[in-house]
Amino acid sequence: MVEIRIHGRGGQGGVTLAKLIATARFLTGHSVQAFGLYAAERSGAPIQAFCRFSPEAITDRNLIYEPDHVVILDPTLVGPGVTRGLKPGGWILVNTELPAEAVAEQFPHNRVAVVDATAIALENRLGTRSVPIVNTALAGAVARILEIPLDDVLAGMEHLGFGGGNVTAARSAFQAVAIRDAISPDAEPESARPGPAGRGASFLEGAGGERPAIQTGSWATSQPKRQQYVPPCNHICPAGNDVQGFLHALARDEVDEALGILLRTTPFPSVCGRVCPAPCMQQCNRSELDEAVNVRQLERLAGDVGRVVLERPEARSQRVAVVGSGPGGLSAGYHLARFGYGVTVYEGAPEVGGLLRTGIPDFRLPGKVLDREIERITDLGVQVVTDHRVDRRGLMELARAYDAVLVATGLQQLRDLRLGVGGSDMALQGIDFLDQVKHDQARLDGETVVVVGGGNTAMDAARSALRVGASEVRVVYRRTRHEMPAIAEEIEEALEEGVILHELVQPVSLQAEAQADGDTGSHGLQCIRMRLGEPDASGRRRPVEVEGSDFSLPCTRIILALGQSPDLSVFPEGAEVREGGDLLGLLEHPVFAVGDLATNDGTVAGAIGSGRRAALHIHQTFTGEVVETGDQARVRSDVDLWNDEVIRADALRMHLFERSPGQEGSSLDPRERLDGFREIHTGLPDTSEARRCLSCGVCNECDICVTYCPEGVLKRVGHQLVFDYAYCKGCGICVTECPRNVVFMSHL
Amino acid sequence: MPREIVTGNHAAGLALSMAGEANRFARGTAAGIYPITPQTEIVERVAAFPFSKGRVVPVESEHSAMGVTIGASLSGARAFTASSSNGLAYMVENIMVAGFYRLPVVMVAVNRTLGPPWNIWADQGDTLMLRDFPWIQLYAQDNQQVADLTLLAFRLAEDPRVLLPVLVCMDAFIVSHTQMETELPTQEQVDRYLPPLDLPHRMRSDDPKTLGGLVWPDATVSLRKEIHEAFDRVPMVFEECRQEFRDVFGRSPAGAVEAYHTKNAETVLVATATIATTALEVVRSRRAAGERVGLLILRMLRPFPIDQLLEACASASRIGVLDRDYAAGIGGVWAHEIRAALQGTRDDLLVQGYLTGIGGGDVTAERIDEVLVDLGQRELPGPPVWVGLEDPAPVPAAPPPKAPLVPPVPSGVEATP
Repeated sequence: MVEIRIHGRGGQGGVTLAKLIATARFLTGHSVQAFGLYAAERSGAPIQAFCRFSPEAITDRNLIYEPDHVVILDPTLVGPGVTRGLKPGGWILVNTELPAEAVAEQFPHNRVAVVDATAIALENRLGTRSVPIVNTALAGAVARILEIPLDDVLAGMEHLGFGGGNVTAARSAFQAVAIRDAISPDAEPESARPGPAGRGASFLEGAGGERPAIQTGSWATSQPKRQQYVPPCNHICPAGNDVQGFLHALARDEVDEALGILLRTTPFPSVCGRVCPAPCMQQCNRSELDEAVNVRQLERLAGDVGRVVLERPEARSQRVAVVGSGPGGLSAGYHLARFGYGVTVYEGAPEVGGLLRTGIPDFRLPGKVLDREIERITDLGVQVVTDHRVDRRGLMELARAYDAVLVATGLQQLRDLRLGVGGSDMALQGIDFLDQVKHDQARLDGETVVVVGGGNTAMDAARSALRVGASEVRVVYRRTRHEMPAIAEEIEEALEEGVILHELVQPVSLQAEAQADGDTGSHGLQCIRMRLGEPDASGRRRPVEVEGSDFSLPCTRIILALGQSPDLSVFPEGAEVREGGDLLGLLEHPVFAVGDLATNDGTVAGAIGSGRRAALHIHQTFTGEVVETGDQARVRSDVDLWNDEVIRADALRMHLFERSPGQEGSSLDPRERLDGFREIHTGLPDTSEARRCLSCGVCNECDICVTYCPEGVLKRVGHQLVFDYAYCKGCGICVTECPRNVVFMSHL
Repeated sequence: MPREIVTGNHAAGLALSMAGEANRFARGTAAGIYPITPQTEIVERVAAFPFSKGRVVPVESEHSAMGVTIGASLSGARAFTASSSNGLAYMVENIMVAGFYRLPVVMVAVNRTLGPPWNIWADQGDTLMLRDFPWIQLYAQDNQQVADLTLLAFRLAEDPRVLLPVLVCMDAFIVSHTQMETELPTQEQVDRYLPPLDLPHRMRSDDPKTLGGLVWPDATVSLRKEIHEAFDRVPMVFEECRQEFRDVFGRSPAGAVEAYHTKNAETVLVATATIATTALEVVRSRRAAGERVGLLILRMLRPFPIDQLLEACASASRIGVLDRDYAAGIGGVWAHEIRAALQGTRDDLLVQGYLTGIGGGDVTAERIDEVLVDLGQRELPGPPVWVGLEDPAPVPAAPPPKAPLVPPVPSGVEATP
């Protein structure tokens, strides 16, 4: 009797190879057996198959423990286990591209034969490119080494219905087999007979003992691994906040922890929670499902409700001067103070806060909210000197006296529009108007007001005008509402309060005849209608005049809110003002520009981020220590693969999420709002909105994967996902059930 | 007759299908089918068979598979199905019904370990749990016996003196998935061997009736006794069926019992299914060495072949029974059956049970040698021997004594003595 053991992987056709050999022998009158050792193997798992043939009737109904020959279908299975029980003088036939000599070194006691059955199978298009079926080629090779006539094997194949490429493959392999005699033939075979069994593991031994189950992990061809992507909110945040991180904390109702996460990057969560245009919400993948998570209001909740006491760090010797106490300057001061540097902020105005103080009305940002956040900065030891305007000469003095100087004077140069009324008290700059309103120095009782512009200043001015008595307020903007840079919610609120919006309108001049009204001071603002043309450099479509569309708007007051540009008069002529640039390198100590002055970004969040980057840069200049990338506060969790790319909605499994509308938080009725400058938003009632965060690309420990794992081999230990690869078959269900794409299959 | 290389499942699927096809000139054939490893290939083969008259109904569970089969049989069709292990456990209620309805249904069962723990390999515990139902049970040893006994099962079941369902069993994988050379029947032969079925109590639209409704105890008793008497006639009819099989197919199908070297044997091993094949090799080599050892292969559990057993053990003083099954708290079912059969007739015989190959483990010649060594040393029978398993399981500690439950006395209330 001849006994052959076959080692292969599920899908390669090992059991059929046993049947091919058996059939070839059966047709020449042998008694035969061909069988596999079956369990729940799937494609790719190691399998064994067996073949017996004998001229006599076969009585052995057991597995083959002492094979005469071994056939190995997959070179990755070559290892010590494959020779177990192999009789001396037996063949080891391996499907490999290696030469026979290389294989012979691993099996010195046996005759070795090799053939590249995979290449032959691919040549003959047997199976697929990833799983070629190699059995018919190996049947030809077996014929050669066992000296079975090839025609017998081909007859067996024909009997089983194998033709075409299979026959060619068997013939090719028959020819191509390379053989090598045993290097040291006389060796005792490795014992393979099963001895008396020891007692197996018991169900009753609890979690500590080994489980009484087959270690099915060896069947896997791929394994699940943990990965992490960059969520779009974190990526886009101009302040560099770990948005998703603080939402996670809020989702767990850990408000203090959420504030702590925000304070790593921003000193102004309560401010940004009120005035930020929130690009994170525009990028929020949840908007593909229903509505973006209301990150702005959640940041406000963390800032208003959270309690964190910041430790004052050990003081360092260097001192830094900051010129300007707007968000950029204060952010830089805050971060420098958290490193322990001595910081003095010089402010030209009588109050601290820059535009936060003067340019944003109380109904959006109450002064006491700003006071509280500034107090957190001064509590860290930051000194603020008000009523101290720094000119070019003053800057040079600071550069001598301090180890570094940051200039954060923002955008102070206001854009004008020549309407033929320049200098007349009819036209006001929006920024100046808002400052006057703050100090109760403006009344517009009964006036008809036209605000020119589409940004937040325009909206704030229009809404403030209504609150100081204007009877009618119109906003004219040369593009459409869609292109307005103001926060969409603020435009909506302005309209609710009664502001009239004229889209695609460009003011041209104040008409002379309007002045004929004399006492009333009423004028006619001549305007022309526009249409949107080709996109300009900023990507927005350029407004183009519509000829002959002139019309007139009556008004008694014009407020200009056309944007601002930096005032560079403090710097030497020709200085290149940009972020990170060392402006006055010739002086004793470095001077840097920060915030809008350097970036022209125009948002509070952008200024905060710029201030933080400047602080990190200075710290690096002083100490050589690189703290972070400086762009984002990215938190790496312990994953197998860190993806540096931003995850978008198409990479999420949206169908696995439930829809639920976003919460806007409560606000005053539009009629109530106009009575004074009370803050109109009252915020979210609780943290539940944070639980709408999809946690794009980052594990939030939802444990759906743990629940769905059919093998129970996926566990959570603390904050860690732990795969028991000894038992994981690599089915991939954890991957398809993960809504946020944090598990992926890795091929072995 | 074509000689082919096929698996046990292939042989079973083909025999079931050809038997069904043979009834095409009568009421046709039908099967309710449901897959379970390692039996699935049987029902796949049946489902693919181009029946001239009949239907294969894939259903949602084993319980329904037998339900469809019962309905088909009641309508006069030649009805059959196949299952295994926990699938049989789920089917139990209807298995019982088919028997008590006296329906000549044939079921092929691939013996697979009942879980948990989950295990798909050979163990007869699944069909042996059905031993008290009115089903004839046959255990095949190889692919040839699977093919032959399946065909014979229909002839036996449909004999008007029997009218009982038949279960044909084979070892998981060792038979079901092993390719071996097998003589396969032709349809013409099967047509000759299995005449059209004419079920006397079949349902007819021209004579509507209810079967199995509520009856008084006396009617129940007489129905049970009829079943018992039908079982009594099975050995005789079985032998007739074998003779007719020889006439049609030209070779002898396996018998209900086969004895090897039992004449003058002092020691007799009893084995079933594939274990018997290996056991025969061991017995032959011991005989050659002059030992008085014999082997009795049992292929029929119900009715239990007591006469052949007594005959084979006439000279023996000790019997070792190899069970690939475990009845909780008892040991091997076959050993238990043999002890019961010998009770009062051969009380002198030492009967020792051996649990071998439980859960599908190989029963090698070495293991059977160990059995014979143990058996030869015995003065008295003992508890079942777990062959090949040496370490005893640890004995769990007794639970600590618990304080008796005393209802709490409400505060401020005196407990009454």
